Amino acid sequence: MRNRRMRKALLFVLYIAVVTPVGLLLRLVRDPMRRKLNARAHTYWIESAPAEH
Amino acid sequence: MPDIVLGISAFYHDSAAALVADGAVVAAAQEERFTRVRHDSAFPANAVRYCLREAGIGLGEVAAVAYYEDPRLKFRRVLATLASSAPTGFAAFEHTLPQWLSWKRRIADTVRRGLEALGAGPVPRIVARRHHESHAASAFFPSPYESAAVLCIDGVGEWATTTLWHGRGTGLEPLAEIRFPHSLGMLYSAFTYYTGFKVDSGEYKVMGLAPYGEPVYEDAIRTKLIDLKQDGSFRLDMDYFEYLRGQVMTGRGFEKLFGGPRRQPESPLTQREFDLAASVQKVTEEAVLRLARNARERTGETKLCLAGGVALNCVANGKIVERGDFDGVWIQPAAGDAGGALGAALAVAHESGASRAHLADKRDGMSGALLGPRYTDEQIGRCLDARGAVYRRMAPQELAEQVAARLAESKVVGWFQGRMEFGPRALGARSILGDPRDPRMQSTMNLKIKFRESFRPFAPSVLAEHAGDYFALDQPSPYMLLVAQVAAAQQVETRSPQGAAGLDLLKLRRSTIPAVTHVDYSARIQTVTEQDNPDYHRVLAAFHAATGCPVLVNTSFNVRGEPIVNTPEEAYVCFMRTNIDVLAVGGFLLDKADQPQWREESDWREAIPLD
Repeated sequence: MRNRRMRKALLFVLYIAVVTPVGLLLRLVRDPMRRKLNARAHTYWIESAPAEH
Repeated sequence: MPDIVLGISAFYHDSAAALVADGAVVAAAQEERFTRVRHDSAFPANAVRYCLREAGIGLGEVAAVAYYEDPRLKFRRVLATLASSAPTGFAAFEHTLPQWLSWKRRIADTVRRGLEALGAGPVPRIVARRHHESHAASAFFPSPYESAAVLCIDGVGEWATTTLWHGRGTGLEPLAEIRFPHSLGMLYSAFTYYTGFKVDSGEYKVMGLAPYGEPVYEDAIRTKLIDLKQDGSFRLDMDYFEYLRGQVMTGRGFEKLFGGPRRQPESPLTQREFDLAASVQKVTEEAVLRLARNARERTGETKLCLAGGVALNCVANGKIVERGDFDGVWIQPAAGDAGGALGAALAVAHESGASRAHLADKRDGMSGALLGPRYTDEQIGRCLDARGAVYRRMAPQELAEQVAARLAESKVVGWFQGRMEFGPRALGARSILGDPRDPRMQSTMNLKIKFRESFRPFAPSVLAEHAGDYFALDQPSPYMLLVAQVAAAQQVETRSPQGAAGLDLLKLRRSTIPAVTHVDYSARIQTVTEQDNPDYHRVLAAFHAATGCPVLVNTSFNVRGEPIVNTPEEAYVCFMRTNIDVLAVGGFLLDKADQPQWREESDWREAIPLD
C-alpha cells in the first residue's frame, strides 16, 4: 500500500475489530502464553510428543 | 557421490551457511565476516558462495537446503503474541505484521530467490527444521559422545525457549520443552537492556560485569520475576516485562522493583548495574544448574551437550562442569543462531542415514571450529605488495619463534593463520595475542587496540597439556566456552589500596597471569591441542619454551564494533589502524616500525558503529 497513513488506519481497524476481541476471548478460554504462575505446581515442563517434523 | 546438505540461518540474528557432506562438516561461516556488518541478518549469499567453493561444487550437487526454523509455526506464535497483548500492543502489531504478511511467512520462497540470485546452479529442495531441533543437532551430532543429554536454552525460536533431548547415535529424541514468553534468554536480555547495553549483543558484557557486584537483587528476581521449580522449569511474571507488547524489554513495574529507570547507554556504570548483573547471573546459573541436573536424571546420561544463545554464558557452563553431575560437557562453538545453520544441515543429513564418522577417531566433528576460508601465501603476498607493506617471509617454526620472542617483550601481535573460526570466539586463527604475565597488558590491549571499555577481561589460550597447572579445569575447553578459576598455585594475594572500588578493582594484580584473570580469579579458557590447530599450538609452545609460560592472551582480531577479520587485507588494515606491534599473516612477519605511513580518507572510528 502506497499511502502510509491509509495502511496504518487499516491495520488499526483490523487490530480493534479482529485482533483485540480474539485476544480477549482467548485469554478467557486458554491463554496461549500460559502466563499464570502456580506456586503449587511441581513443574512447568511441557512434555514432547514422540519425534515429529 | 557424497550426500551434501547446505544449511542456512538468516533474517533474525547472525546469518550463516554451513555445508555437510556425508555427515561431516566441510565448511561453515557467518555472513557478517564477508559483509563487515556485525551480526548481519541478511540472506547469507557470501557465506553460501564460500561453502560451495570450499566443497568445489555448485548448487546442483546439493541434495537439500535446510533452513534453521519453521516460519509458519513462528508466525502463529507472533500472531498469538499480538493477540494476547491487545488492545495495548498496537505499535508492535503495526511494526511486525506487514513484514510477516509480505515475506517472513514464506521463507522458503525468500530463500529460494536468494539462492537463485547466486547463479550457482539449480536450486535444490528447501526444507525447514525447527529452531530448537537445529540447536540440538548442532550440540549433539558434532560432539564426541555416542550418547548424551542435550539442553538448548535461548531467547526463543518458534515457541520453544528451553528444550531437553536425548541424543543416541544418529538420533535425537525430544523430551520436554518450555515455551515463550517464558525464557531465560529473554530474562537475561531484559537485564541487558535495563543496565544500558544493547540487547542480543550486550549480554556477554553483563556477564563480564557480574563479578564486580553482589547479588543483592537475587531475592527480588526469584520472588517477583521468575518462578523457578526444583526441576529447572520456570515461568516469568509477564507483568514486569514489556516484550510481549512492544519494542522494549522492561516496563514500569521493573523500574519500581529495581529503583529507577534503566541506565542510558554509554553513561557511567554504577554499583547498581554491577549488582544487577551479579544478581541475574546468579539466578541464571541456578536455573541452568537445575536444568542440567534434571537432564541427567531424565536421561541417565553422564555426558551433556549444550547450545542456544544462553550456552554462550560460559560462567554458567563452568558451574555445570564444576558441579560434577556430568563427567563431560560439550558446547557447540557457534552456540547462537549461526550454529542453527549447521544444526539444520546435520539434522537432515543424519536423518537420511549419514553416520558420525568422527566418533571412531574419538574427536569432535568441528575441526577445532576452523571451518572458514583460508588464504594462500601467494594471495597474502599479493595483498601485502599492493599495500606497499614491508615484510619478511619465513617457515612456520621460525615464524612461531620470532612471534614468541616479540610476545615475550610485551609486544602485541596480530595472528592470522589457516581457516577462519566459526562462531563468536577467535581461537588462534584470527586472533590478537599478548603476554598474559604483563600487568599492563590488559590496559594496553583495551585502550590501544580495542578502543573499548576497561571492565571486560581478556581470555587465555593454554597448551592443553599444561592447562591443569594454570587453571582449575579438568576437561577440555577447545572453544573458550568454559570459565574456571585460575589455579591456586598461580594466584597472588592482593592488597586493595584505599579507595579502590568498582572498575578500578581490575587493575589489581591477582595472579601470575594478570592480563587474563578477572576480579574473582576466574578466566574464560581455551585449551589448545596440536591436533586441532598445529600453527597456534606451535606459537604457544614456542612462547612456553622461551618464557616457561604456556598461556597467551587471545582476543579477537578486530577493532571494537566490527566483525572479526576475514581476509589478509582486513588484517593489514586493522594492524595499521591500531597500535598492534607485529602482524604474523601466513608465512609473513611484519613489524609496525618498518611499515609505510598509514593514511586514511575519513575517520574510520566514526564509520564503525559502537557495539
